[in-house]
Amino acid sequence: MLVKDSFSRFGTVEDHPEVLKIYCYDFTLIPRIFSRFIKRPIIVVQPRSAEDVAEIMRICERHEIPIVPRGAGTSAYGGAIPLKSCVVMDFKRMCNFEIRDGELVAQSGAVWIEMERELNRNGEALRVYPTSANVSTVGGWIAQGGYGIGSLRYGSIAENLKWLEIVDFEGIRIVKGEEMRYYVGTFGCLGIITRACIKTRKNEPINCRAVHCSFEEAISMLEGGYHASFKNSKYLSLEGFGAKDVLLICSEKGDGDETGKMMWGRRLIPLRIASKGKRIFPEVVLPHENAVKFYEYAERISEGLEVVFAKDCVVFIAALGNGYRNMLKALKIVKIAEKLGGRVYARGMLFSSGYGKDISDYKKRIDPKNLLNPGKMGWNAFSMSIGLLGKLIWTA
Amino acid sequence: MDCIRCGLCNVCPVFRVEKLESVSPRGKIIVSKSIDSRIARDFFKCSVCGLCEVVCPVNLKLTEFWEKKREELFEKKLAPLPIHKKLREMTFRDFNPYRGKQEKRAEWLEFPVGKSKTLYFAGCTASYRLQNMAKASAMALKELGIEFTVLGPEEYCCGSPFLRTGQKDIGRFLFEKNIRAWQKAGVEEILTSCPGCYKTISQDYPRFARELGYSFEFEVKHVSMIFSKLAKGKLGFKATYHDPCHLGRHMGIYEEPRDAIRRCGIKLVEMERNREFALCCGAGGGLRSQFKEISIAICEERIREALSTGTDILITSCPFCEYNFTRTGKERIKVFDLSEIVCMTLFP
Ligand SMILES: Cc1cc2nc3c(=O)[nH]c(=O)nc-3n(C[C@H](O)[C@H](O)[C@H](O)COP(=O)(O)OP(=O)(O)OC[C@H]3O[C@@H](n4cnc5c(N)ncnc54)[C@H](O)[C@@H]3O)c2cc1C
Ligand code: SF4
Repeated sequence: MLVKDSFSRFGTVEDHPEVLKIYCYDFTLIPRIFSRFIKRPIIVVQPRSAEDVAEIMRICERHEIPIVPRGAGTSAYGGAIPLKSCVVMDFKRMCNFEIRDGELVAQSGAVWIEMERELNRNGEALRVYPTSANVSTVGGWIAQGGYGIGSLRYGSIAENLKWLEIVDFEGIRIVKGEEMRYYVGTFGCLGIITRACIKTRKNEPINCRAVHCSFEEAISMLEGGYHASFKNSKYLSLEGFGAKDVLLICSEKGDGDETGKMMWGRRLIPLRIASKGKRIFPEVVLPHENAVKFYEYAERISEGLEVVFAKDCVVFIAALGNGYRNMLKALKIVKIAEKLGGRVYARGMLFSSGYGKDISDYKKRIDPKNLLNPGKMGWNAFSMSIGLLGKLIWTA
Repeated sequence: MDCIRCGLCNVCPVFRVEKLESVSPRGKIIVSKSIDSRIARDFFKCSVCGLCEVVCPVNLKLTEFWEKKREELFEKKLAPLPIHKKLREMTFRDFNPYRGKQEKRAEWLEFPVGKSKTLYFAGCTASYRLQNMAKASAMALKELGIEFTVLGPEEYCCGSPFLRTGQKDIGRFLFEKNIRAWQKAGVEEILTSCPGCYKTISQDYPRFARELGYSFEFEVKHVSMIFSKLAKGKLGFKATYHDPCHLGRHMGIYEEPRDAIRRCGIKLVEMERNREFALCCGAGGGLRSQFKEISIAICEERIREALSTGTDILITSCPFCEYNFTRTGKERIKVFDLSEIVCMTLFP
């Protein structure tokens, strides 16, 4: 009750014990034996401004209560899953945004598609957005970091930010340039993102072609493209489409075709292969030069492969079956990618141990009590098990 | 439920307004095994529009799930919610949820009709509230050469608002009243202009018939299926079309109303979200009656989307949608039922 009183002035708070269970999940598949490491939050608070966020953080710091930020809970890396009894800071009510010449200033809870719709009405468009854009939030995608629609031309979300407004235990401030690396892809462990200034593009019509070709041939067709993704025949047949490998190549100029138009039209209806049983989708990022080599390996061991081409790298999403054997396969895929100069797509709860010294030192300085999304930087039960299994696989 | 918790169902229009995960489809699935009165209330914050089911990558039968859950809550006495209860009491008494007098049920009818094997079933809303719709549907059908009858005092609420809110008992009661009247009148074909009635009579009634030992051999049609073949005109103006959830997502009727609109000579401009991805108007599933503010907020969003097509003429084919759009949009938007459009071509 006391905790509720402290937070109720920020508007909506949730403390119904059963409803709090909802906030123990995001899109991460949690093996049952691990579910005991997940903690139910004490309360969910929905701030409406950066000032609210700062005030909530002050209360949490005073009482040493951990904070877990939450957008739409669609990330598959467990970043929004509480590993300690905590306050969940839910950003859904901080969803305003405004369009200024050539840029978009959005609160962290703004949903990508809603901004895209408004931008389109103004002759502008987002440069990049995730395929979960219909539901996911600005803060969530930035904090996870990643690639999406438009990344072939414009790169990752990190490359399309002008500045971030951050709240940490020292207050509210604007962060620009290199300093943004502390907040993109660090899952809310170093500060809370309250606003972002996002680069936009002129809303040129996107023309798409679907080309039947091999992965190697696909790489040679990317020049001048805005967005490109490749699905192998196994992936497509799981989706219920044709049985030939397909490259979808889209550009802001040039021609399109009917299949390309249809595939583009379905870009925000992802994950259709989930209807064919529970799956694990390991995601890795490879440098362009080793993409073909990695593809050959991943093609062999997966049940389907989707590849998203970005400006300076290639993102592989492998579809595997469910169960422990496939989890091991997923780890193998990550290990091979690392051997070829690549990396796991994002860290979150599952790969929380791999941050560099710069980031870890910053964490110690800015959050000495480890209250910001604890367990998501350094070891936790999940990343420890994954790390150990990874070592075993490698030795074997 | 084999939910993979991807969260794609957060497109839910009610969730978008409420912004609380306890009303999101994913959230409701997570808490669905431990429902108390607070959670039960959240289960009714849903217009049963079915958008969650369309976007769900696992193809979960979510609409059926919400309706089953509501039935369970009703059985456990966690429902009906207060306004739904009031409507229930009124309907047990008056056979409609509008306090309308049974003998005045066909007061809207402006011409005599004889006996026929084809019945025009106007439904409660068009009979008592939006009589323009019943009048226009009947006039258009007549003018297009469709012979039909109207049962008037022998027509009873189809039960849709109750079945969508988990109250099967009153649904069964109304089913029996209606089917007996239809059998007595020798009806073989039923035409409806209300998608709620259309869904209920096509999908729920055959189930009741099996359960209660009636034979059910009626052919059920929504009037748009007739207009799509017979309407023609040169109206020439620009309009957009809103897919009613019960007609579109629930019954798969997307093209017939569009064909009818085009046949009337209207330049149809689509909203960004159309057909199976159309945004609900916010009125269905007992939402408008119990949670009016949420319903209005959803409707506002849809009106904004309609206006951004560059026309202020919106055509729909459902009395609930028409009512919600007219009440919420006021003079910002001109709302017509499809049958009114067909009448414009027939009675210029
Ligand atoms: C169907 C589907 C398709 C997807 N497609 C893509 C894709 O194309 N590209 C891609 O990269 N990802 C994709 N994802 C993963 C995920 O959707 C994205 O990363 C998404 O943008 C996360 O946003 P969210 O609002 O759901 O964040 P959440 O899952 O709620 O949070 C993600 C992380 O960010 C933290 N966080 C949230 N808000 C803040 C904040 N304001 N400040 C600090 N930290 C915060 C959380 O604590 C958590 O660690 C997809 C997921 C699904 C289910
Ligand atoms: S879309 Fe389907 S699988 Fe995904 S969270 Fe919703 S109900 Fe579950």
